[in-house]
Formats: sequence, structure tokens, C-alpha cells
Amino acid sequence: MKKYLYLVSLFTTYNLLAQSPVNSAMFGTMETRQLGPGTMSGRITAIEGVLNDEGKTIYVGTGGGGVWKSSNAGTSYKSVFDKHCQSIGAIAINQKNPAIVYVGSGESNMRNSVSIGDGMYKSTDGGDNWKKIGLDSSEHISRIIIHPNNPDVIYVAVPGALWSDSKHRGVYKSSNGGQSWEKIFYIDDKTGCAELLMDPSNPDIMFASMWQFRRQPFSFNSGGNGSGLYKSVDGGKTWREIKNGLPAKPFGRIAMNLAPSDPKQMLAIVESKQSGLYISSDGGETWKSQSATMNTCARPFYFSTIVVDPKDSKRVYRPAFQFAYSSDGGYSFTEASSEGGWVHSDMHALWINPVHTNMMYLGTDGGVYTSIDKGVTWRFNHALPVGQFYHVAFDMQEPYNVYGGLQDNGSWKAPSAAPGGIGNGNWTRVGGGDGFWTIPDVDGKTAYSEYQGGNMVRVELSTGKMENIQPQKTSQEEKLRWNWNTPIVTGAKNPKNLYVGAQYLYKSNDQGRNWKRISGDLTTNDKNKQKQEESGGLSEDNTSAENHCTIFNIAESPLDENTIWVGTDDGNLQFTLDGGKTWTNVSMNAAKCGIAKQAWVSSIEPSHFDKNTVYVSFENHMYGDHQTYVAKSIDMGKTFTRLNHKIFTGFAHKIKEDLVNKELLFLGTEMGLFATLDGGINWFRMKNNIPEYVLARDIQIHPKTHDLIVASHGRGIFILDDIRTIRNLNKDIWDKDVYVFQTPDIILNNGKLGWGGPEVSGGWWAGNPSDHPSFDYFFKQRLNSGKVTLEVYDDKEKLVQSIPGTIRRGINKVSWNLRSTPPRVAEGAKKMDGAGFTAPMVLPGKYTLKLIVNDKVYTSTFNCVHDTANKDLPLEQRKLVYEKAMAIQQLYNKVNKSIDTINYYQSLLKSDSVAYAKRKNAIAFFTDLEKQKGELMGITKTSIFADEKRLREKVSELYSTFCYMESAPNQTQLESITDLENDYSKISAEVIKVITKHLPKNPEIKEKKRLD
Amino acid sequence: MKIKKLAWLFSLLILMSSIGGNAQNLDEIITKHISAIGGKDNWNKLKSMRTESSMKSNGADIVFKSIAVKDKGTRSDIILMGMTGWSIVTKEGGWSMYPWAGQTKAEAMTADDLKMAIEELDMLEDFLTYKEKGKSIDFYGMEDVDGTECYKIKMIDKNQKESTYFIDPDTYMTIKITSKVKSNGQENEYSTFFSNYEKLPEGIVMPMSSTNGWSENRITKIEVNVAVDDKLFVPTK
Repeated sequence: MKKYLYLVSLFTTYNLLAQSPVNSAMFGTMETRQLGPGTMSGRITAIEGVLNDEGKTIYVGTGGGGVWKSSNAGTSYKSVFDKHCQSIGAIAINQKNPAIVYVGSGESNMRNSVSIGDGMYKSTDGGDNWKKIGLDSSEHISRIIIHPNNPDVIYVAVPGALWSDSKHRGVYKSSNGGQSWEKIFYIDDKTGCAELLMDPSNPDIMFASMWQFRRQPFSFNSGGNGSGLYKSVDGGKTWREIKNGLPAKPFGRIAMNLAPSDPKQMLAIVESKQSGLYISSDGGETWKSQSATMNTCARPFYFSTIVVDPKDSKRVYRPAFQFAYSSDGGYSFTEASSEGGWVHSDMHALWINPVHTNMMYLGTDGGVYTSIDKGVTWRFNHALPVGQFYHVAFDMQEPYNVYGGLQDNGSWKAPSAAPGGIGNGNWTRVGGGDGFWTIPDVDGKTAYSEYQGGNMVRVELSTGKMENIQPQKTSQEEKLRWNWNTPIVTGAKNPKNLYVGAQYLYKSNDQGRNWKRISGDLTTNDKNKQKQEESGGLSEDNTSAENHCTIFNIAESPLDENTIWVGTDDGNLQFTLDGGKTWTNVSMNAAKCGIAKQAWVSSIEPSHFDKNTVYVSFENHMYGDHQTYVAKSIDMGKTFTRLNHKIFTGFAHKIKEDLVNKELLFLGTEMGLFATLDGGINWFRMKNNIPEYVLARDIQIHPKTHDLIVASHGRGIFILDDIRTIRNLNKDIWDKDVYVFQTPDIILNNGKLGWGGPEVSGGWWAGNPSDHPSFDYFFKQRLNSGKVTLEVYDDKEKLVQSIPGTIRRGINKVSWNLRSTPPRVAEGAKKMDGAGFTAPMVLPGKYTLKLIVNDKVYTSTFNCVHDTANKDLPLEQRKLVYEKAMAIQQLYNKVNKSIDTINYYQSLLKSDSVAYAKRKNAIAFFTDLEKQKGELMGITKTSIFADEKRLREKVSELYSTFCYMESAPNQTQLESITDLENDYSKISAEVIKVITKHLPKNPEIKEKKRLD
Repeated sequence: MKIKKLAWLFSLLILMSSIGGNAQNLDEIITKHISAIGGKDNWNKLKSMRTESSMKSNGADIVFKSIAVKDKGTRSDIILMGMTGWSIVTKEGGWSMYPWAGQTKAEAMTADDLKMAIEELDMLEDFLTYKEKGKSIDFYGMEDVDGTECYKIKMIDKNQKESTYFIDPDTYMTIKITSKVKSNGQENEYSTFFSNYEKLPEGIVMPMSSTNGWSENRITKIEVNVAVDDKLFVPTK
């Protein structure tokens, strides 16, 4: 029986999956706005350029934003890796055929927040398409080298897994362009390859820096017996360790390079008990210690780049905490000039144009910089929106603002819409350091931001002034333990409640001026995980990144302010029902449904519909476990059900329940954004102008605008405007062939924001949301034949406008400009007349929408409503404006009719051009008509820089003014209508006079109807 | 044991059905595509074509009138707010005159643009001639276009113009083409979507609708193998 049920279940599951039509493609027409910004950009991990292109074409790899390509030296960038893993470790270009590009996924700057890759990729068409070519379990890749004489031979340096033992490390080689791989150098399952060099003059000579390293959630260790510097003289077949002149082992990470113009000249920064810079002049056989600054040798695990000028072996660059250069082969270093402004610290990539070596690109924690003076001064590239947000929040202003903190780039605020769209200049800094939670206060004037290790401030938004508000320990309490990414949140039920968590939970009701501790230690308080001062390995490194046994998430129930959930970084999930007097730990109940016991509680979502229901996401990647853990409890944590799906990738960061449809959930993971419309049974990956493997760290839903707001750790902020169509989609709809969604009331205005001026060049820019709701409809299948038209009718059943419809499968969205059909424009002008694209905005009232799909008509109604918020245009004035606009449109039509009449007679006169040239009467008639035409419209000036304003141009201008008017018309505008009508009367009388005069003298023209 | 085998067989069937589409041979896709658009013979009979179409913008109509004569020339007239602009391509030269763009006289096309335009004078659908024209094609699997998973095929011509075709696996019609053109040091990319395919009396199948992303151009009249006055391909001003 059991076996039978198993088979039935297998079939049922398959059928459910097969039959569920809901997937991302269905919503493809709903595209996110990528807010970026490029203002502070984000961590850059690799830069490579095409040699034969004057340094204009470069590929940029990022910590969490994929690969970007610029073909214009950084003026603009295009994302070319949106379908793949977003963490990038290395890039290599086949310079003999630059269409071939390799990308190694998985950054190798082994910080606590570094993401994970899933192998090697290859493009054969300059980055348009990518194919995965193996090393899937490598997790981190630090270097790719293409053999200069045989481009099918590729070497890859794989440091390998950061958080666990792994055999997938070392040096790999492919001899067939990535079709198959061979591991050619391996030390052990704790030691990988951090750097790989090839002598360009003799490609059989190679160097590998092997690195033993390991992170745990509460400590980092760089160094061990596995680390060492190795040389091969047979193309990687055999390797020999080099020690002569180097410090005593054990080593940590070694950064090294050679001079391409004189490969025997080498430099290495060796992490050891006496970390330092070492120089070799004999191809690495012997080394000599060289004194070096702190900047040159600091943080070896994070700063692993040293580059020698391709033409000048004495010119050495060390991008690290700061940018330093040497002109004497590394004997002395100078830091780059600050002329022109600050260059972001923490540098990881440098590409020098080998042809013009004064030109170079630098990758930092805050984007790409370009230098054209050998690194002395730098210019920021503003168009790379690869910021690594940890969290996002919003306020209730109109338009609302988003708030968030980023890796090494502080905390920021920006409007969700701005005149002309959201550019880099719309972002305002509200916090420093590494930014994390950034929360607006309900007062609309204040925000809270923080930097690493629980340093938190209250920010006065109007001035930017900040006040430190971190709670301090009392003499009776243990040292407070603050997470790197300490939670500071306001209450979902009572937004005046402000919470922060160390190992204890604190609450303030006065904006952090006073705090009350409302819990005991909610963590496991495991003392073995609290030895952060010993962290770092050979180099001490204790920056609060490894702080542990701390509170990591706090969530007040949106239904009850006394119900508060807390999750910790060491596996505890606790709640209180009495505002903190008593706490219940339910982590073991969660473990029963398959959640790893020590997993971080990455998000808690108490339901908006039922106080006993909670969704929780967990993540355990710091123990080498990449599973997606999400669980739901409907009995206040007594039992949990795991929500899982085969489509999930990446460890979970955030589970979010919709505010209206309790079956609609969103999940953000390290590798994707997912949604379900059936409470978690079927999930699909969101691809709505968002990278398929986006590092989705945080998700919010705005209650007023219904926008989905996503914070990504590598691609900035995404906003999917107005998700009501997704929210309202259900089986009753997707079972139908065609379904028309109810159009919300449309408020009649020209939008809430003005033009804003032209977009600033060289920056990142995101558009605004649509000013008005679209007409939304659903097609079960794409319409392969026939056409779709939408027609809008007023309450008198008069056609207002006909609009072509789209035919895609799933949700279609078609915009209407709220106007009727523009007037026809008579031919003959030398310049374009804008009236031909302009019509008055419709009046408030009930309208009918007809969706015509071939021969079927789907009818619905909707309302256009007066904009009561605009006090400049009361309803009576709106009606007056409309009436006048229509009056001017009639005048415009009359003018065009007169022009048509003239055109008609002129075409008759010239229908036989030979005869015309011989007839004086015909020529006189034509000439007089032409004169009147010249009064009716401009017909002589052809240049767009030479104005020629005649009657039609004047009418057209006034018509446009009234069509777009959003305040009561002034007296001169009203009088102008009468003046123009009078002008027309005079000219039209002249036209009739000319025709009456000349027609009898031109008996060849029989047609006289136009006179009538 | 029997149940396990059944389950295994079932999984295998699912796997096979899921990879079946991707295993589609490129030649087979092209053969089916050519058959779907009416077959090579019918296309080879095409000597000239005259179309009229219209596009809506803010409720206003923009009218297009196009004429093409095989291996001789093409002319497109655009009637926009009472003004007419046009472009002409022949083997001897190409010109355009768009008064709304500030042009006061016909302007010659750049050599790069003309070279690419002349390639199209044979009036043959691209997959009918790519081999003869020395174009290369590559298959890049499936990709979503407006909710439809399509075959993605990239074609590169001798001028390094790249065109990516997205072919609907149900109908074998092209529903999107993305072209990347490098010209005068610039790289421009644009996409056109096609729908409402109709079979003409002559046997060829043509899209009656194309969309460039902001508005749809609908063919309202189409005539094939009509007589065309050569004067139409002479620039008038």
C-alpha cells in the first residue's frame, strides 16, 4: 500500500507541477525598475580589457552583481550575466579572438559576507550568451589564465570552499577550451590556490600561491602548513616549493605578480608571522625582504592584488586599503593623489591597458575608477549599479523613500520617484561605515542607521546630523555582543516601538533616547564561539565581522505589539506574548521539520492575517550547508512545516508574506527571488527585469502603492511597481483563455512629477512608475494569429480612443494616455505640428473598455475621477478647460479643412503639369491659393532652427496649452481663442474669395464641391 | 521492486521529455521554420511587394507605405502629421529625407548602413539565404520571449552584423529579432517583435504585425508581384 501511495504521490506531484501554469514568464510584462544606484556602486572583483580596442572594451566582475561590459571606456555599462550566478571571481579574455571570454564564478576576497559561485562559464560571442563549462563545486575562483600560444589551454586557480573542507580546490587545467578539466595541483582539502601566474615569455613556467584558510561563523583563520609558494617549469605537470629568502612558514595568503616585460622580476606579499613584501630578480628562485608600509601588507585575505606595468618592470601598483604605486620596482611606494576627490578604499582589481599603460581601471569596494595618468589620479565610473544592500525599508511619504545600508558604503535614502526619474544625485547618505538596517521613524523626520558591530545612530533627515543611540551594558550585565549586521527595527503593529538586539533585546519608545532591556540572553551564549579577539589566523583580524551568539532578527507581530519574535545567529528562535516578560524558545520545534539546528535565523515574518502563524527563513551556509530553509508554523511555533521546492537555489535570506493575499509569498535567497501563489506549494523564480540568481537579501511590500521592494546584495534596489495584478491572480483566472482585470479608478492628471530636465550623462538612471494604472488582461496562451485592440468608450458610447493591444502569454499591460483621439493634420507643412499627437484629457466619469481579440469582445467598465488633490483645478474649471480645448480643436479642424481645400484645388491645377505651365489663369489661381496657404500655416522655412508661426501654428500652440492645462486658464489665454477664431474667419473668407474669383477662369477644373 | 522500477521509468520519461526540446537539431529547426513560412520555392517566386501599414501613437495614426522590387530597390514612405518622409535603397545608393528630423534635402546613407541595406534587396527571409551569403549561425538553446520559450539562434553576417532570432517552437515562426549593429564606431542594439502571421495567396507566410517596443505597426494592405515604376527609386530632392 505504501508503495502504491508513493507512486501516486510521485505522479500527483509531477502533475501538479506540470499543470501549474504560474511561472515568471506570466508576469514578464511587469518589469522591475532597477534603482541602482551608481552613486556609491559596489564591490568590484575582476576587470579585464580587450587589447586591440584602445582599452575601450572592458569586462567587470563584481561581488554580487554579475559581469558588466563597457564598450566605451566606462561611459556606460551593460549587464551581460543576468541569467547566471552573480558572484564573480575571475575573468579572462582570449585576446586572439576576443569574442571568447571565460568567467569564474565565486569571488575570492574571503570576507564574512562573500558569496558563492557555481563554476566556470564561457562565452563565444563577446558576452551575449554564456555556457556553463564545469568546476561546479569550486565555490570560489581567483584566477583564469589562457595559454598565449594555444588558447584551448586554460588554467584556473581555485581557492575552493570557505566554510568547509572540500576536495574541489587547487589548480585545474583544460586542454580543450573548457570541455573537460584536470586537477593538476592539489595540496589538501583545506588548501586551495589563491593566485596563479604564467611567464609570458615561457608559458611552461608557472607560479601558484597555495592558501590554507577557513571561516567559521565565529572566527576566521588564514594560514597553515598547506600554504606555500610553488613553481612549475613544465606547464603545471610538476610543482616545486620555493622557500629561499621567504620568511619562516606557516604562510597565509600570498599576493604575487611578475613583470610582463621582464618576467624574472617578481614581487610577493607573503602573509606569515612576519608578513612583508618580498622581491625576486631570478624568476622566483630567491627572494629578498623589502620594507613596506602598512597599506602594502595589510589584510592579506582581502587585498590580494599587486600588478606590474606591462612595459615598465619598475612601475608597480598595489591596490589595497589605499592605492599605492612604486617607480623603483617595489622598493618604495607612494599613495595616489587625493586631487580630484576620494578614491574608495579596499581595492581588489586593476587592469592596465598594455598598449597605453598610462590608462588603467581600478576595482574597489565602491565601484570602478579610471586613470589616464598611471594611477596618480582617478575618475569614478558612475554607471555601475552594483551596490550590496543588506536591507531595505520605506516610509509613507508620497512618493515614498527607500532606505538601506550597503557593504562598505554606509546607509542611504532615495525617493522611489523623482522629477525625470531617479538618478545618482537623488540619493542621500544617512549613515557611514558598512551600512545595514536603515529604518525611517514614523515621524517622517528621523531615521535610524548603523555601522558594523551594532554602532547605531538616530539621524535628523533635514540636516543629516547623527546622534549615537547604542544601548550600553550595566555593571550587572555581560559584555554586549553585537552582530556585524545588528538588527534595529520599528514595530509592525506600533511603529513607535524601536527595538535593537545584542544578546538581549532592547526597546525604546522615545527614538532611542532611553532603552529598556526586555529579555535575558536569548542566544545559546556558547563561550566557545565568543573568542573573536583570537580571530584572523596569522594576521589578527577582528572587526566585529565574526561576533557571534547575537540576536540577528527581531519582528513585532503586525497584529499585536506584545507579540515579538527574535532569531539569533546561533539557531535560537524565541517569542514573547507579553511584551518581553516571558520568552519561549521554539528552535527545537523548527529543527524537527528538517531545519539545521545551529542555522542563523535570517528572517521572521509574523503573519498579517493570523497571530499564531509565522514564517521563518534560516541559513546555514557558514557550516557549508547551502540548503534553502524556510518553515511555517500555524500554532505559535509548536510545530513547523518546511516549505521547499526543487526550483530553490541558494540559502534563504528573507521570507515575505503579502499584505492582502495570504497565499502570496516571496522568498529571497543568495541565488534568486521566488514567489508562490498557493501558500508555498508551487514556487516560481521571478525574472521580471531582475537577475535570475540575484542575491535577494530583503523584501518589502509598500501598503499604499502595492510595490514590491527588493534589496539585492550586488545590484542595488529593485522596485516592482503595483503588484496587485499578481496579487489578484488565482486559479479561476488562469484557467480562463482570456481575463480582463478590473481597472482601478484612474485619477485624472498629467502625473505627479514634472520633467526634471535631461538625464545627466555617465550616470545610472531609473525611471519612474507609471503615472496611471494600465489596462491589464490575461491570456492563457500567446495569440499567434489575429490581433488585439482595446477601445475606450465614454458614457454616451462614443469611441474615445483605440489602442493596439499586446498578445503575450500571461499578464498583458496596455497604457492609455487618458485622452481622446488627436485631430488630423492637413498636408503641406514644412515642419511637424504637435497638435496631431495631442488631445484633451477626458472628463471624470464612467468609461467602458472593450478588449477585442479577433472576433471576441470582452467588456468591462472603469472610472476616471477628478484629482481632488489639485486645488488649482476645481472640477468646474476642469470642465471649462476641457470645453475650451475642444473649441480650439474645432478651430484647428477648420483651419485644416481650409488647407485641404487649397491642396485640393492646387492638385487639380497641377494634375497635368505640362498644361499647367502654359496656362496663365491656372498659375495665377495657384499663386493666390499658395499665398492664402501661407497665411494658414508655415510653408517656407524648412530649417527646424527657423520659426515660422502662422495661424495653424498659433492654434496648435494654444490647443496644446489647454490640453495639458492643470490649473484654471488665465484671461489672456481665454481671449486668445476668440482672437484666433477671428483671424481664421478673415483668412477663410479670403480663401473663398480667391476660389470664387479664379474658378470661372479655369474651366478645366470641373470639380466645385469644395466651395460648398 | 516492481514499483521502484516503475518510478524509475517514470522519472526517466519525465527527464527525456524535458530534454527533448533542447536536443532539437539546429538544421531541423531551420527546415521546419522555412516550411512554416511557406517554403523556399514560394519565396523564390517573390518579385515585388507593396504594403501599407499604420502605427498608433497617442491615438494618432502614422502611415507607412513600402515598395520593394527584388534585387532592384526598396522605398518606404512615412506619413506623419501631414508630412511625408522617405528612404530609398538601391544597389547604386541609399538616401533618406525626414523633414521632421530637420532634414531639408535628401541625405545619402553612410557606406556601412548602405552595405547592410543592400544585403536585404533579395527580399528573401534570412534563413533561406544565410549560407549563400556567408552568414554563420549558432544555436543558444531556449529563451523566454513574452512568456513563450523560444529557440534562440544567432546569425552573424560578413559585416559583423549580429541578429538573434527567437523562433516559437509551436509555430516555427520568428517572434522576435534582436539586431546588434556596429557602425561608425557605435554599437546599437534594437529588437522587433512579430505576430499575426498570415499566408498570402502566393503561398508565403508573413507577419501582419511588428512592434518595436513602443508601438505596433499593422499591415493594412499587401500586394505581391505588382508592377512598380523604377522612378520611385530615384531620390526626388
